[in-house]
Amino acid sequence: MAKFITKRVAQMLLLFIVFLTVVFFLLEAQPGDLTQQYIGNPEIPPEQKAVLAERLGLDKPVGARYLAYMGNFFTGNFGNSLSQWPRPVSEMILEALPRTLVLFLSATLLAYYLGFVTGKVLAWRRGKFTEYALTLGGVGLYTVFYPWFALLMIWGFGFMLTDWVGFRVFPINKFIDVQDWVGSPFSANHVFLRMITVAALSMLAAAITTMIARRRLELAPALRVRNFAFLAGVLYPFVYFAMSPMRPYAADIFHHTLLPVMTLSLVAFAGIMLLTRASMLETLREDFILTARAKGLSEKVIRDRHAARNALLPVVTSLVLALAFVIGGGIITETVFSWPGIGLLLLSAVTLEDIPLAIGCLSIIAVLALFGHLVADIIYMYLDPRIRYQ
Amino acid sequence: MQTIPSPAGAPPRDRTDAALLEVDNLTMEYEVDGGNVSAVSNVSFALHAGESLGLVGESGCGKTSVAMSLLRLQADNARFREGEIRLNGEDLLPLSEAEMRTHRWKDISMVFQGAMNAWNPVQRVGAQILEAINLHIKPRPTAAEARKRMEDLFNLVGVDPKMLDRYPHEFSGGMRQRAIIAMALSCDPQIIIADEPTTALDVIVQDQILAQLLRIQKELGMAIIYISHDIAVIAEVTQKIAVMYAGRIVEIGPTEEVFANPRHPYGYLLLHSAPSITGPRRRLAPLKGEPPNLLNPPTGCRFHPRCPFATEKCVVESPPLQEVSPGHSVECWHWDKVPSMAEEGHA
Repeated sequence: MAKFITKRVAQMLLLFIVFLTVVFFLLEAQPGDLTQQYIGNPEIPPEQKAVLAERLGLDKPVGARYLAYMGNFFTGNFGNSLSQWPRPVSEMILEALPRTLVLFLSATLLAYYLGFVTGKVLAWRRGKFTEYALTLGGVGLYTVFYPWFALLMIWGFGFMLTDWVGFRVFPINKFIDVQDWVGSPFSANHVFLRMITVAALSMLAAAITTMIARRRLELAPALRVRNFAFLAGVLYPFVYFAMSPMRPYAADIFHHTLLPVMTLSLVAFAGIMLLTRASMLETLREDFILTARAKGLSEKVIRDRHAARNALLPVVTSLVLALAFVIGGGIITETVFSWPGIGLLLLSAVTLEDIPLAIGCLSIIAVLALFGHLVADIIYMYLDPRIRYQ
Repeated sequence: MQTIPSPAGAPPRDRTDAALLEVDNLTMEYEVDGGNVSAVSNVSFALHAGESLGLVGESGCGKTSVAMSLLRLQADNARFREGEIRLNGEDLLPLSEAEMRTHRWKDISMVFQGAMNAWNPVQRVGAQILEAINLHIKPRPTAAEARKRMEDLFNLVGVDPKMLDRYPHEFSGGMRQRAIIAMALSCDPQIIIADEPTTALDVIVQDQILAQLLRIQKELGMAIIYISHDIAVIAEVTQKIAVMYAGRIVEIGPTEEVFANPRHPYGYLLLHSAPSITGPRRRLAPLKGEPPNLLNPPTGCRFHPRCPFATEKCVVESPPLQEVSPGHSVECWHWDKVPSMAEEGHA
């Protein structure tokens, strides 16, 4: 197990270096950048240009710049943004990263959980009306043109619903309402980080409680402990912030996450539901399902203990494929909802020709994708004993 | 002794009261687009405690349909039209699913074909056996008792008890089959259905497993229904044999008697289509043609299109099951002509 993970991490590190190299030379190869505005400007005297070029390191050959860049990158120096000079890129990324992570993690977890549970039940109700209706709806959501769907959600839930009920149910964009934060003793990032920490810790506590219960208790009480622990894990952050002075500010941020998370998870949910359904139907034809029936197990036990776990394997594989969506979908989602995360940062870096920031954003997306692969590998190894210890 | 009327106008037969399992006039059809597939027609047989019965026939003749019906594990499109399956006198067909579940594995367990995919690949073998034990053995054994039981079973079938903590993919083919037998024995069933128990295995392992099944049956005394297209396997391990053709039992009787004296042309041809290593050299009698399409079975005797003795009567009228010697019954109008097949160059 440890050996496998070490090997995977080493492979990924190598892949990451290749990725950085490709990104560096691709951006190097494209014509024009922000410095051209100064160096190409006829108003600036040649001596001044030389000083500028030297300061920006542009007088050195490409190879030397590449080595310097890689050296700096792996010592944690990502350079300074050219468009928001002289803010360090690392600071900007650290500010945007949690917002993106929260958006995608919550949407992914929600979509996978709900999609898997619904798909499982759907396969069991083969031929019933609910199966047809949900499958049809799922195919619709799965194939929808995503930016259009996001706009439709804003129109429906942001504008139409507000007109209809008379007050604003969902904010339509942005991360906070600035006017509500005037005179706030907390910064938005501070509140947001606190929210993430509390939520993560309470979910971790729930997971640990569940694991202990699995070891110590019989199946039925262990399941009860699990349900209770996760309910408490979800409710605790709400209680915590209801009693904290950060309450109005935390509520504002939470309010703003609702619509983008809902939109993203709906689309991902449809795909997972369809995949789980297909995978379940395939698994139900396997011989060991017949064995389970012959043993006299109840339908629910057969479904949850025998079929579902096997049907989960292709769904986990799809998690890896879904990571590609994080890059494309991230930019689209964050643009449509004006969500100040990595995607929006990358978009502005590219349009403003801010190369250090663009490389920073791309590399952090690469790290996320590689990390996601590793997580999927580990989950897969846990779920399927046939690929363990290899 | 009581007598019950047999289907298709056959003379009444004796029914022994002590029978463990009685299948009576079982008729089952699969509903498909374009009609009903008559997979099992008027099948009757009885199984006594400790007895072994073999069901033989070509693929698609209804062997597995009968076996699955005994556990009520028939496919979703299967419909029982007639008949009863009585286990210790209780008819299983009208039971609810929940009631039926208490009989599965507890009273009738199954050794599956191939055993390759009969195990859930992501669960330890021990956990899968434990599941059956915890479900059916009352009062529920403690973890240590259940473990002891599983270890004893693995010792009985000749697999290292340490393998209980392994996953199915770590077992060889023969070990998987032995472990399946151990699982089938785990709740002390009265009947085990062995559906092609050795088909996917090489001959040496086949032999070991059959010998083991025989030994275990002697020790524990349960009844076994063997299902196979391999007559050699059936001959070796059963006392009674039922030859199935196109969803019907066409010949049933003591194994030795049926082998020595087959009285149904199909039974005869089936027996003589395989060479015997130890017996006298003889010409093989190949069985020509294919089993009929049961969506639209032949009229009269279902075997008539392939039968060398078929007459006008066979095409029109279905033959009754008639007893030709004690315990040996045949569904054929011309059973008395069958011994002549040997002289007529069919063999």
